[in-house]
Amino acid sequence: MATEVILPRLGQGMESGTIVRWLKSEGEPVEKGEPLFELDTDKVTQEVEAEAAGVLLKIAVAEGEVPVGQTVAFIGAEGEDVPEVTAAPPPREEEKPRDPEPAPEAPQQEAVASGNGTSGRIKASPLARRLARERSIDLRSVRGTGPEGRIVAEDLERAEAGAPTAPSAPVSTGEVERVPLSSIRKTIARRLTEAWQIPVFQLQASADMTRVNDLLARLRERDPDVRVTVTDVLTKVCAQALMRHREVNAEFTDEAILLHPSANVGLAVAAPQGLIVPVIRSAERLSLTEIAGVRADLVGRAREAKLRAEDLEGGTFTISNLGMYAVESFTAVLNPPQAAIVAVGATEERVIPLGGETAVRPMVTLTATFDHRAVDGAPAAAFLQTLKESLEDPGLAL
Amino acid sequence: MPELTYREAVRDALSQAMRQDDDVFIMGEDIAEMGGSMGVTAGMLDEFGPERVRNSPISEMAIAGAAIGAALQGMRPVAEIMYEDFLTLATEQIVNQAAKHRYMSGGQVTVPVVFRTQGGAGWSPGAQHAQQLEAWFVHIPGLKVVFASTPEDVRGLLWSAIYDDNPVVFFEHRTLYPIKGDVPQEIEPIPLGRARVHREGEDVTVIATGRLVHESLKAAEEAEGEGISVEVVDPRTLQPLDEETLVSSVKKTNRAVVAHEAVTRMGFGAEVAAVLQYQAFDWLDAPIERVGARFSPLPFAPVMEAFVVPHADDVLAAIKRTVGKEG
Repeated sequence: MATEVILPRLGQGMESGTIVRWLKSEGEPVEKGEPLFELDTDKVTQEVEAEAAGVLLKIAVAEGEVPVGQTVAFIGAEGEDVPEVTAAPPPREEEKPRDPEPAPEAPQQEAVASGNGTSGRIKASPLARRLARERSIDLRSVRGTGPEGRIVAEDLERAEAGAPTAPSAPVSTGEVERVPLSSIRKTIARRLTEAWQIPVFQLQASADMTRVNDLLARLRERDPDVRVTVTDVLTKVCAQALMRHREVNAEFTDEAILLHPSANVGLAVAAPQGLIVPVIRSAERLSLTEIAGVRADLVGRAREAKLRAEDLEGGTFTISNLGMYAVESFTAVLNPPQAAIVAVGATEERVIPLGGETAVRPMVTLTATFDHRAVDGAPAAAFLQTLKESLEDPGLAL
Repeated sequence: MPELTYREAVRDALSQAMRQDDDVFIMGEDIAEMGGSMGVTAGMLDEFGPERVRNSPISEMAIAGAAIGAALQGMRPVAEIMYEDFLTLATEQIVNQAAKHRYMSGGQVTVPVVFRTQGGAGWSPGAQHAQQLEAWFVHIPGLKVVFASTPEDVRGLLWSAIYDDNPVVFFEHRTLYPIKGDVPQEIEPIPLGRARVHREGEDVTVIATGRLVHESLKAAEEAEGEGISVEVVDPRTLQPLDEETLVSSVKKTNRAVVAHEAVTRMGFGAEVAAVLQYQAFDWLDAPIERVGARFSPLPFAPVMEAFVVPHADDVLAAIKRTVGKEG
């Protein structure tokens, strides 16, 4: 019998994904492991590979948002019958009326199909069955997210919570342009709202970038192929400072403050689909050139929307650099669960007092935001001071 | 509270029972001058003399038979079977005699005997000296079976086993002898048939015996770090089984892992899984996971032995499977 292609869970907490496009068409042969379709999640766009070989018999969902665990296609032998798809209720956005499948309630009784999402027996845990019975929930209306699409108790909680809010049809006004929220936009909104609950404070310092600029010039002269940037120096300097001030490389939990063993530095990147923060792992152990290589790869893939889930996980600190714009200084919103983020303005010539006289120097202003639950003012200030000193004399950090 | 090793805790229960009660005596291979091959009875000969600390011939059948005879005459013997692998040689006496006399005499006689034994892997004793055969004896009506995992438990349970009027097969684990733990000042008997909740949790119940109790506690610690709250329960007595505690824990967490060092196939965990699926069916949110040794004789080579028997990471993987995470 045909193998169902199920929308996979690509990372923890993923509940749904948006099918961008199919890379195979119906009737086309498919090898196991071949890319089948492009899936957009709240974190990345990723190609999903076929888990079975055969012919792509039917594409059940051509595009749009689909809950994890739902059947989106069938792979099987040429000419094989395909079971009807019992569509789970669309989450929020209305499916286009293109899909002509009407009542899923009356499947043909002939096929003794198994598995959720097809006619026949529904896979559900005993607990889920009991809860469904007690609360009069029709299991056919619940999508399973357990192993092999099994409906587990959590799915019923979700179904119940989601049930009363009927999706409102979009009203076109002709004047106001309505941009539907992409999954990444929803994630940005949710995470930043969460971050806003955290008691934070900011500290600011300016650093003389003369020596950093010299260093960059020398590095580029020596190896023109690897373009080392201010961001790379910042990454390195921050990583070293985080190792010296481990209380900043931290995460607040209800039971304990977790001090991370290495500095996984996230870089806020403006990707076409929105803000995204790929992570340079163990940056304290990488040379400047290595950091530049990793950074170029991550930022390049971020702009092409080709980051993988693992590129975005495990960050312990974030750098948000708007130095390429005419921004003198700004405040960044914390990136939870991290305890600190540094906002970097443009490096610009300023007049500063120097040894009783005035001098014109390239200066940068750093504004760091800290989670006050995890870090107090004095250690945070010590961290920022190390950052400033390391930028003014990069040899100290390297 | 004093601290004792598991080994000292066993010795303490034996010695205190022998001090207070002339009917209690111990018997086994090399238990007198040598103090037993695991050193559990070291020094007891000096205190109690050769009448009550009796070296036996190398015949498990003779040890078991003599102990049963003494028990039928009103004594409370504690027979040591050096390795539980050698219980095979005493099985006729334990299964066909000790387990049956009370029943077949219509209750006219009782058989208050304890068969203490030890086993388990973790120190490369090889295929004939490391098995975990507790499930064999749980299968026999008329026997009680105990498997203690901590110094406090082993002392309190051995005391209850000695004073139980039925034959008790009492399993100790070789690698637990050196572990230390607080015990009450005075021996507090632990009733047979009462489980112990070592750690409370919300998401998964791990029901573990023997060495795997400690491995499961480690796994629970790690799972906690990943946001999974694990309850660890040790039944301590395998027969009679405290079904109520196990079932109510699983009704709370909705998920269960059973873990022991013995092979999974027909292991004690299979029985626990059966009890849970029947009594907590409507509360289960995931299939019950079983953790046990691979179905193989135990290898001598340390790396191979470690591969065959389960450890904390195996328990952790099972925990994660029950909550639908990888593993």
